[in-house]
Amino acid sequence: MDHVLPFHQKMMIRFHLQMCKYCARFRDQLLLIRKAIRNEEDTAAELRPSKTSFSEPRERIKQTLRNQLKKKSD
Amino acid sequence: MDDVSLLSPEAWVDQYGDILFRFALQRVRDVAVAEDLVQETFLAAMKAKDRFKGHSSEKTWLFAILKHKIIDHFRSKKYDQSDLNIEDYAETTDKFFSDNGKWRILPSSWDINPVEAYEQKEFMNALYRCLSEMPKRHAEAFVYREIDGLSTEEICKVLSITASNCWVMLYRARVLLRRCIEINWTRTTV
Repeated sequence: MDHVLPFHQKMMIRFHLQMCKYCARFRDQLLLIRKAIRNEEDTAAELRPSKTSFSEPRERIKQTLRNQLKKKSD
Repeated sequence: MDDVSLLSPEAWVDQYGDILFRFALQRVRDVAVAEDLVQETFLAAMKAKDRFKGHSSEKTWLFAILKHKIIDHFRSKKYDQSDLNIEDYAETTDKFFSDNGKWRILPSSWDINPVEAYEQKEFMNALYRCLSEMPKRHAEAFVYREIDGLSTEEICKVLSITASNCWVMLYRARVLLRRCIEINWTRTTV
């Protein structure tokens, strides 16, 4: 998952994963966690609109950013 | 990369604020906290925009910052013991295997479609909360790798560790995280 293994190690692991259902399950679950945390913002666009509007927070946040920019330029 | 929006944090808020807010609200379930986290995200992005190299989209970059903030938020929040079952969370990863390498605590089967895992609110909530409960260095290594997409070399530089240390930390982080999710997200079958 993090670096390329030497060929013989890769083959040994591949063989073991074919024989051991629990290690294969473990691997699948790690890959699922990886995919979930990396891809979740892809579904963010489909999030149902919240009951809470962003209009007021939007203006407050913009004002904070303006204040911060003003501080930097002073 | 949109050069206009990079120069204008207010344009970021217009373009991405709503979606970041809804995402944060879904995670933390508190309107005021969600607003704070989104604000902190934009402030951090404003400070770091010169370092944004454009390897990912602006949206991905902003989401990565927000995810960091959410995890830090959960880490700083105190939970009742009854709220999150941390029964096994302190155990070392060595306890999962016997001395001869056999499984001691078998991974159970998860009833979840891997394609849709990130759409399952309970699953993702368990994931974030488990991340926040993990030993800090392990969580950092995991987040740098999986959210920020840093290479082993880059993680080693940031954490001042060797490559071997890094791989061990990532392995332990994943073992602990997987087990914590399994305990705290109940859709398992034997």
